[in-house]
Amino acid sequence: MRFISKEKDIADQIINNSRSMISVINRDYIYEKVNSTFCNAHMVVNDSIVGKSLGEVWGKDTFENVIKQNIDKCFSGKIVRYEAFFNTPSLGSRYFEVVFRPVSFEGGKVTRLLAETFDIDDLKRSERTIIEKEEEFRKFETNLPVGFLRCDVNGKILHVNKPFLKIIGCKDEKLVLERNIRDFYSEDCIFEIQYIRLLENNTIAFGRVYLKNLEGTEIPCRISGFLALDGSGNPSYIDFAIEDSTRELMLENRLLQAQKLETIGALAGGIAHDFNNILATISGYAELLQDDLPQQTELSEKVSKIQGAVLKARSITNQILTFSRQVEQEKVPVNVSAVLKETIGFVKSALPSNIIIKSRIIKNGVSVYADPTQLFRVFLNLMTNAMQAMEDNGGSLSVTQAVVEGKCVKHDLNKGIVADEYVLLTFKDTGKGMDQSLKSRIFEPFFTTREVGKGTGLGLSVTHGIVAEMEGEILVSSKKGKGSVFYVYLPVSKEYADTSVDQSYKKRILLIKGNKYESSVLSMALENSGYELISVSDHGQLGRIMSDDKGRPDLLIYMSDSRQIEPKHLFEVVRQQKEKIPCILITEPNLDLLEEKLLTSGIIKQHLIKPVSLKEIRNAIQESLK
Amino acid sequence: MAGILIVEDEKELREMLKLSFVKRKYSVLEAENGKDAIVHFRPSVTDLVVTDLIMPEEDGLKVIMKLKELKPSIKIIAISGGGKVGPASYLNLAKALGADATFSKPFSINELIQRVEELLKS
Repeated sequence: MRFISKEKDIADQIINNSRSMISVINRDYIYEKVNSTFCNAHMVVNDSIVGKSLGEVWGKDTFENVIKQNIDKCFSGKIVRYEAFFNTPSLGSRYFEVVFRPVSFEGGKVTRLLAETFDIDDLKRSERTIIEKEEEFRKFETNLPVGFLRCDVNGKILHVNKPFLKIIGCKDEKLVLERNIRDFYSEDCIFEIQYIRLLENNTIAFGRVYLKNLEGTEIPCRISGFLALDGSGNPSYIDFAIEDSTRELMLENRLLQAQKLETIGALAGGIAHDFNNILATISGYAELLQDDLPQQTELSEKVSKIQGAVLKARSITNQILTFSRQVEQEKVPVNVSAVLKETIGFVKSALPSNIIIKSRIIKNGVSVYADPTQLFRVFLNLMTNAMQAMEDNGGSLSVTQAVVEGKCVKHDLNKGIVADEYVLLTFKDTGKGMDQSLKSRIFEPFFTTREVGKGTGLGLSVTHGIVAEMEGEILVSSKKGKGSVFYVYLPVSKEYADTSVDQSYKKRILLIKGNKYESSVLSMALENSGYELISVSDHGQLGRIMSDDKGRPDLLIYMSDSRQIEPKHLFEVVRQQKEKIPCILITEPNLDLLEEKLLTSGIIKQHLIKPVSLKEIRNAIQESLK
Repeated sequence: MAGILIVEDEKELREMLKLSFVKRKYSVLEAENGKDAIVHFRPSVTDLVVTDLIMPEEDGLKVIMKLKELKPSIKIIAISGGGKVGPASYLNLAKALGADATFSKPFSINELIQRVEELLKS
């Protein structure tokens, strides 16, 4: 008996010293036994609980709504566990875990159960804190503009955030989670190398690494890695922070391009300047030689060839100087759409049947500060370029003119702006397109994809120089096999293209037009400069107008490729004049015999070679009218 | 006969110019840079100056300013192979500083001579 009593004492001691509240409940929901912890929590002595019903101790509502159903489940033979938040007099309101176990059986029925109640409040609160922290982290991770990826040491992806999905252009997280990080690197060994480096140093900024998106397109990214270790110091997982650096790279490249072009420009400009000096000597001696030789001999023909070559060389040095922005542009407010329409009209006149041109002018009547002839060259070069890209398979060229706000331009160009608004012209072709390496070189002088002898490779360089001189910008995007788009940004001028000049000072110029397009641009440029232009359609009319005292022009400009009036007719008419009218001759670099005759006839005051800038023509006019 | 000063650092070009002027019986003086031209300038025998603009030592713009100051009646023709100072070309600056005529290299020597004759007549 003593033995039993001793064992019972030990059992009681264990039960009473347990940190859990322990009780025995019978089928009538009456407490048969409770331990000290239970009594302490309720601040009562043992006797006052034993024999009481659960309803009395916990209140009728709590018993009926929460406790009874769980106890009944236990009486049906199951162990029942649940979490509850309740108040005890000594502990206050806390989280508890309640466990009911069936303990006595009679005739296959549960007659008593053991109730244990553990205080899990601390655990519960830290769990809640963890959930809150996790939620906070998730928000942070999603809102952060940086991609985040966690993978195990084998590269298996465990977690990614939304920005990462955005970088690789994937909407569904699941598509990524079943993959390995190696699938997103352009080469397998990249992950291996990163892992080895992380083993040496837990946190590393890897710099620029190319990621492949699901379509296989490479995206430049800035990546940092962090290797997490487990409790025993073994590698556990790797976190990667990934930033899309496409824009950064683009701006970097653009800056490099600009610097490169500036360097080439300075170099080429210097060479062109030196060449002009040498050409001056060559052309001077050739001219002196020509003067000494009898005309129309074999020798004089040969000297003419030298002079022709000098003119060609001069046209090249002139283009280089334009590219390197060493040529001063005579700028006036110019109506962009007018020049654009002229250029399109010209290009259409010689358009191959497999190419169509579509144009859309979103805002008319916008002025930019430019030399109209140079602006014409810009448009013509870009359109010619587009047509060459489409000459094999045909296609369409879409030209659009719109006006954009300066601040948008600032974002696109990432450089200081000089106007509140910019004209944005786009020239979009469906031609051959270019790869990246070709694209990065197209504005370099003498860079050409055409065969030797076809084009000098100066067109786009000159275009670049002219646009830069106008404080504008020219950008290009292209896809090999799909086509290219050139974007030209030009600052909008607050001054409007205006021709209101004091009429009494208006000089009358007779322009004998040649090549249709060039004449149109030239006449527009001259009208913008305040001259009154007249034209004639045949040599009879020319004769009449020249002998009319009132209608006679102050100056004559003759474009040598005129179809209406031949050089000999001009010569005849001008020679008959008592009062000589100054005459400006505009020709191609290589002169033909008739043009040379005209030039040496003494009636030509100034000789200009195409392409003629507004500045040149204005200077020539001023000189001639002196 | 009128005296012409040629200021040009490119020897061959200078000689070509000299040859053409001597052929037309002008008396010719030469300088191979701007400093030379200013230091050795002789107003009494120089009626017209043909000057390059970009040269070592003093440049052509300085020559124009200085010689116009020393002899206001002097005629000056500026010649240049291109180039700009800020937004303006050297030739336009030369004009603004008092050059009576400007020519871009390469130019027609006969046109230049014609201009020289006109300027010396006026």
